[in-house]
Amino acid sequence: MASKGTHALSLRILAECKTTKARTCKLHLPHYVVDTPVFMPVGTQGTLKGLVPEQLEELDCKIMLGNTYHLGNRPGHELLKKAGGLHNFMKWNRCLLTDSGGFQMVSLLKLAEITEEGVKFQSPHDDSEMMLTPEMSIQIQNAIGADIIMQLDDVVHSCVTGPRVEEAMYRTIRWLDRCLKAHQRPHDQNIFPIVQGGLYPELRKKCVQELIKREVPGYAIGGLSGGESKDDFWRMVTLSTEYLPKDKPRYLMGVGFAVDLVVCVALGCDMFDCVFPTRTARFGNALVPTGNLSLKNKKYAKDFSPIDDQCPCSTCKQYTRAYLHTIVTNETVSCQLLSVHNVAYQLTLMTGIQQSIVEDRFPQLIQDFFDKQFPDTDYPQWAVDALASVNVNIKKS
Amino acid sequence: MKFVVNSVKSGGCRLGVMSDFGLHGKKIVETPMCMLYTRRGSAPHLTADMLKKIQWLPPMAQMSVTNMIEHHEAIEAYKQGIGKFANMKDYIVYTALHDPATEVMSGQNDTATVGVWSKSGKVRLDVEMFVKVQEAFKPDMYQALSDGDTDLKAGKKRTNKSVTRTLTYLDDILERLPKSQVLKDAAIFGVIEGGNSEFERCRSARETASRDVAGFVIEGFHNQGPQTELFKISDIRDIFKTTLECLPEEKPRLMHGAFPPDQVLEALELGLDVFDSSYPYHVTERGGALVFDFVHIADPEDMDGNKAVQKGWEIDLNDKKYFEDFGPLIEDCSCYTCKNFSRAYINHLRNTSELLGSVLLMIHNFQHYFNYFEAIRRALAEDKYEQLKTHITKQKKYIRLLTLTFILSQTVYVAVQTESGLRQWP
Repeated sequence: MASKGTHALSLRILAECKTTKARTCKLHLPHYVVDTPVFMPVGTQGTLKGLVPEQLEELDCKIMLGNTYHLGNRPGHELLKKAGGLHNFMKWNRCLLTDSGGFQMVSLLKLAEITEEGVKFQSPHDDSEMMLTPEMSIQIQNAIGADIIMQLDDVVHSCVTGPRVEEAMYRTIRWLDRCLKAHQRPHDQNIFPIVQGGLYPELRKKCVQELIKREVPGYAIGGLSGGESKDDFWRMVTLSTEYLPKDKPRYLMGVGFAVDLVVCVALGCDMFDCVFPTRTARFGNALVPTGNLSLKNKKYAKDFSPIDDQCPCSTCKQYTRAYLHTIVTNETVSCQLLSVHNVAYQLTLMTGIQQSIVEDRFPQLIQDFFDKQFPDTDYPQWAVDALASVNVNIKKS
Repeated sequence: MKFVVNSVKSGGCRLGVMSDFGLHGKKIVETPMCMLYTRRGSAPHLTADMLKKIQWLPPMAQMSVTNMIEHHEAIEAYKQGIGKFANMKDYIVYTALHDPATEVMSGQNDTATVGVWSKSGKVRLDVEMFVKVQEAFKPDMYQALSDGDTDLKAGKKRTNKSVTRTLTYLDDILERLPKSQVLKDAAIFGVIEGGNSEFERCRSARETASRDVAGFVIEGFHNQGPQTELFKISDIRDIFKTTLECLPEEKPRLMHGAFPPDQVLEALELGLDVFDSSYPYHVTERGGALVFDFVHIADPEDMDGNKAVQKGWEIDLNDKKYFEDFGPLIEDCSCYTCKNFSRAYINHLRNTSELLGSVLLMIHNFQHYFNYFEAIRRALAEDKYEQLKTHITKQKKYIRLLTLTFILSQTVYVAVQTESGLRQWP
């Protein structure tokens, strides 16, 4: 087992929920201390929807994501190295996490082909053939310099079945070993392996068992949130956390809808990321405890209240729904104002969860959350089942 | 609104003070002044929090009827005016008829109405509607309804019509105003039209000046929009001068459009007092950063000053040469962008079409341009205007050289591109 001090990370569990698998922790990383459960907004190309780092700090955001595939393309890892890493380049002094680039290759590039060596793909700039190997992914991530980096995994669409899933799971483990070997900065960058295995419980279990044999600072749960049924989704999540060691952080990749966050915290996950809150902002949607407001809608033309009068963000303190209605999708300012709000919404939700775990009233928070999101008590059945599996029975009041 | 010309300085530049505004009675505005350009009530790309990071912000914001007309009913229901509606309550608000950064379509006006284009289509604005909209917006200052659909090539008939119609609109508005409690304290600016006709210009100026207006908007030389950047004040110097001579000294004169640094000075010398900041907006939109120098004016032999004149008005952040340039846009610039971010980062943001690129450039460009106006006022007050002008003129000469070099380099660039091999990843 890992002895303390070998990784650039330490996790201190502050409190565990007495009912569910939820816990709240202090995650010490090279650039900052992060409170978990945490939502991490996605700043794909070294910037987040027109916001400056200072605005994210004001929202008390402590960790954000960058995408290795995009950053490797533009500006490229050589430049980031010269700039002294992404932190310095974009002037963000808190924590960063980068993915491996593999997921983008498979999802964005139609012609990607996976071999034992790596992911072969066609350059988006010209037609030349290129290869992303586990070693290269780590080399780029070392240049970017994020606090947490990801192994390159063999990504299979979550709806694929059959022997390909098993092949991908075993390849992911082989690639992990190559990534660990290639990793040049274990003293100040934490590499997370990724649990794969599709929707097959025995493969997931096998994968976790293999991963925990390796010396790693934390774990990611991957290959989910790609269109599989929610029923399969939550079962794979809870199975993964069941076998992962308690003393290390668990990062559930690509999950960030409010309902999913609440349920997956209950299932024992610590870290989440999703482009949804900032992407939906661009289309004029604001997240609120009751769901979301489409500010393009004419019904807000004379609504002089803030998006959410309980929200502490600068948008809600200064702007009305009516004014936002006049600028959404017309002026770039609206995109920033809604991004500020939506990130604030996600972060406020998470700090509320942290607090409730400390005070051992997380189950009550879950009930209140569902009451607001689903006033007609039409709770999604998967969520009801998932929560029941961790002893929370949401009541149709 | 009160306006006092404190002194007329070298070349004809006026130093003045505007005060006693309707909703913002206590505010004082020094002229020459450049208003904050806004789109739908917000500074382009900037939230209120980001706007606050800019130094030398003017106390006055320009908003336009065209931008917001489709929302006038909501603003009317809001009851507190467009400034507060747009979270800009600390700003003195001036409402222009059109957006100075967007070209106004020709052939939209008739005897009774001015056609303005909003997102939901064309709106015919008659005097009744115009007053209703202004009552909803509650500006401190506003431009009267006008037919400015002329340029330097406009024919005699069109020019005559634009003057006559604009005067008729003004008379109808002035007749309607006593009934308006809301616009009682708002200052109305009469609009001087007349295309390139000295006769019509003088008729417009004299007639408008004889009416009860607080100031004047000079219009009808161009159709607004980005092309106004290429407009040369020198082409209209004589007619402009004659026009302004027909106007009373003690009322402010305002002209819309993009004024590069040298054009600002030319317009000032002809007696213009108020400008808008659509110029730094256009520069931002094309990915430029203003770098012209107005700091090193004291000593013509000053080494820094000589170096400074060799940069031109702006640099192009789309240019590959900034890819690895970790310096700020301008060394020693005190703006938020230069204090925190590098040319290389902004180049990356432009390359990837990220919003933050526009945000950072807008902050820098606004601050640079507003600071320039501050420098102009200071130079006038300290009798150093001629030095400032010499310094700006030097840079203009250098720009001509740059333009020539640019055309040549483009030819070379194309040649090199065809020769160069394919890019490697990563």
